[in-house]
Amino acid sequence: MYRIQRIAAGLTLAAVSMSLLASPEDDLKVFQSFFHKRFPDVVNTEFGNGTYAIDPVGRANWEAIEEFPPYEPMIDEGRQMWKKPFANGKTYKDCLPSGPALGKDYPQWDKKGGRVVTLALALNECREANGEKALPYKKGKLASLLAFIAFESRGQVTDVKIPSEDPRALEAYAKGKQFYFARRGQLNFSCATCHLQNVGMRIRSEILSPALGQTTHWPVYRSKWGELGTLHRRFGGCNENVRAKAFEAQGEEYRDLEYFLTYMNNGQPLNGPAARK
Amino acid sequence: MREVILTLTLMLVGCATSAIAGQTEYEKAMTGAKAAQKQAAAVGGEWRDVGKLIKDAEAAAAKKEYDTALKLAVEAKAQSELGYTQAISQRHAGFPTYVK
Repeated sequence: MYRIQRIAAGLTLAAVSMSLLASPEDDLKVFQSFFHKRFPDVVNTEFGNGTYAIDPVGRANWEAIEEFPPYEPMIDEGRQMWKKPFANGKTYKDCLPSGPALGKDYPQWDKKGGRVVTLALALNECREANGEKALPYKKGKLASLLAFIAFESRGQVTDVKIPSEDPRALEAYAKGKQFYFARRGQLNFSCATCHLQNVGMRIRSEILSPALGQTTHWPVYRSKWGELGTLHRRFGGCNENVRAKAFEAQGEEYRDLEYFLTYMNNGQPLNGPAARK
Repeated sequence: MREVILTLTLMLVGCATSAIAGQTEYEKAMTGAKAAQKQAAAVGGEWRDVGKLIKDAEAAAAKKEYDTALKLAVEAKAQSELGYTQAISQRHAGFPTYVK
């Protein structure tokens, strides 16, 4: 009996280890095929439209909103910011020469710094390197600049790279993955509880959106906010909804989470900025 | 007359002792709550309302409402301990079986 118990424990341990050691490529297949099986009628490129890919009524309202996009003035503001030189005469393009269509290049692994660099972080670091103050990460001018860049990046395809030769990159990915699936807060929910396990179900009057496609369209003009907000603002909001304390925008936790979640969206077309309820 | 004075004196002493005991109990609970909050935060497991509970407890204590303050501090400690336990239990979270 004891032997059987030991074998069973060994098998369980092996299964857990396999799950933790699965490569990002394996994870991506599992993640994306879950949504393709769950929503067999949704075309793959539609997932970037979130709930509106699976809710025809919500989609009709959303299409009406998109006729006069509420984020358009912010794209214009972002365009001006991109063009306007800093006090030292340089511009964002001096730091990010392939810009403004930078969407597909972020988040990226910074081998030298041993960290995940998001586009928002890169833009603020560019400002600071040129003697300008960093902008707040959740909303406002930085969100406008991100909206312009997202607009210029429309049509690009998500293509996050996790260099397998750098164990620190794999560790950052693993941390983001753990964050995504870890239950937290007083409600004991993980990100996956809503956006995988109960995707398509209603939570009060809202339909829970699929995780596939969730990183393609930021920043977002949310009617609830009445303004543009960034992905990390939304991460924080989700965490607080489950009564967990939100982490700092652009802190390591959310940058790693963005790294994992965007990688899970590899192959999805970029379609930001967007309007949401 | 003497007996009345003695009774009143004893009552006053009793009240003061009770107030001091309430304050002491609150302070002990608050120390525990703050330590538990720190422990939960260290593993990324702090819950949303803990900071507010602690703040509200401190505000109640400042008004010498020690019963309320104690209740809030005890709640903050309990939530922090649960948050810590939850975070530890989720350290190896990964793809759930329903995804595969």
